[in-house]
Amino acid sequence: MMRLVRRQIPIGVVIVTSVIVMSDYFFKITGTGPLVTMLTNWGIILTAFTLGFGAINLFYLHTRHIRRRTSGQWFFSIWLLLMVVVFAGTGILTGATSSTYTWLYNSSYFALSATVYSSLGFYMTSGIYRSLRARNIEALLLLITGTIAVMRNAPALAVAAPILIDMDKWLSEFVVTSAQRGIMIGAALGAIALGIRTLTGRETGFLGRLTEAEREG
Amino acid sequence: MTTTTQKKSIWDRLEAVPREALYALLLIFFIIPMVNPIGFPVPISDEVRRWYNTIDALPSGSAIMIDFGYSGGGEPELGPMAVAVYHHIFSRKAGLKAICMSTSIEGPLLWDKAMAEVNPSRYGANYGKDYIHIGYISGGEIAMASIGKDLRAAVSTDYKGVSLDTFSIMQGIANAGSFQLLICYTTGGDQSEGWVRQWYTPYKTPYLCSVLAMMVPTMLPYQKAGQIISVTSGAQAGQMEVLVKVPARGIKSADVITMTHLLVVGFIVLGNIAYYAKKFSGGSK
Repeated sequence: MMRLVRRQIPIGVVIVTSVIVMSDYFFKITGTGPLVTMLTNWGIILTAFTLGFGAINLFYLHTRHIRRRTSGQWFFSIWLLLMVVVFAGTGILTGATSSTYTWLYNSSYFALSATVYSSLGFYMTSGIYRSLRARNIEALLLLITGTIAVMRNAPALAVAAPILIDMDKWLSEFVVTSAQRGIMIGAALGAIALGIRTLTGRETGFLGRLTEAEREG
Repeated sequence: MTTTTQKKSIWDRLEAVPREALYALLLIFFIIPMVNPIGFPVPISDEVRRWYNTIDALPSGSAIMIDFGYSGGGEPELGPMAVAVYHHIFSRKAGLKAICMSTSIEGPLLWDKAMAEVNPSRYGANYGKDYIHIGYISGGEIAMASIGKDLRAAVSTDYKGVSLDTFSIMQGIANAGSFQLLICYTTGGDQSEGWVRQWYTPYKTPYLCSVLAMMVPTMLPYQKAGQIISVTSGAQAGQMEVLVKVPARGIKSADVITMTHLLVVGFIVLGNIAYYAKKFSGGSK
């Protein structure tokens, strides 16, 4: 009975859902439209639910850090939970698009996240200075392509030396695109294999932790 | 105890320039054009021109689905591009319908920010008639698939919770087939590639995509295959501003990009000179 509830019913649900959604995507079978719309809307609701679930999990994890006074962590946990309460409280009381909430977002989270992302430029510059050196053939190739890309992306340099645009275009269209295609096709084949394993009930990772007996199946 | 202090050569010093010095130089090269814009020329790339021409060629009354799918960290790069494109959409004499949604939870807030910059009223554009935001829709690709199939089944209000039935712009908008163009600004690969899978492949909706510069190589195969009309990076916003004739943050950052990239090229040259000089003077392994 336990095996039926924990393994076979979930796998059955996944198989039936996948077959319906995939049939609609690939074959446009008449009559399945409303059912697929309902299923995808359930998907939206479920992912929205996971946001709330994540918030509860966050509280559970960080209140434990605070209770245990985890070294180097507990005061950050207090700050995190305080911010969650402030943002959630403001959003619930005034609305997530109110001027108060927008002000709070713009003057704290937005400013900080833009700053952190922008600061990458400094690390990258330092990294380029130290690592982009022609130590061997491979490094020389990286140096040449990297320098072309950097120079082409500087608008005034591209105007001064239009050949940079052609060189960058050739690199993008042939070298980058073909390499990227290889990666994408490889990943797609992996995804197809995972899909087939899931559809045939061989992939059970999404069921969470299983006992050895269940695993052996 | 004896200590031997070997005197460092100039090449040793150059090879190991403290990172603080590199940061300081970068900061100087960043601040100069920000404070005093130089006005370097900005070449218009094929991608940006193709993007501009696509919007320009839309027939009167066409509906555009716009995904504000970027986060706060990506706003300095993607925000100016989104603003410039909105200027283009609103400046079209024959009206276009700009219907926006967000696959990023921060999207509606960043859209508000962009709209404050655009100031649609200067073009006579009105909320609910010429443009709207239907809010953040969770689920990523599931959301794309869902609104492509039946928009009203997935979302019934705008981002402020007002029923979509009260807005004239939403009349006749039912699913992906109601849109003549799809635009996505995003900091996430799942979104930029997801729209290809969920809208281009099943409905053949023409698709324009603007992503972070570092994401462009990932998107190039889709452009080469014709699934995306044009992939641009937010760093090309200055070019779009030149085309729409509304110079703003993008043009300013074009100067900054030129100056800082020049510095980086200088660093590459200097680093290699130091490396080889040290090597040939016998100071390297």
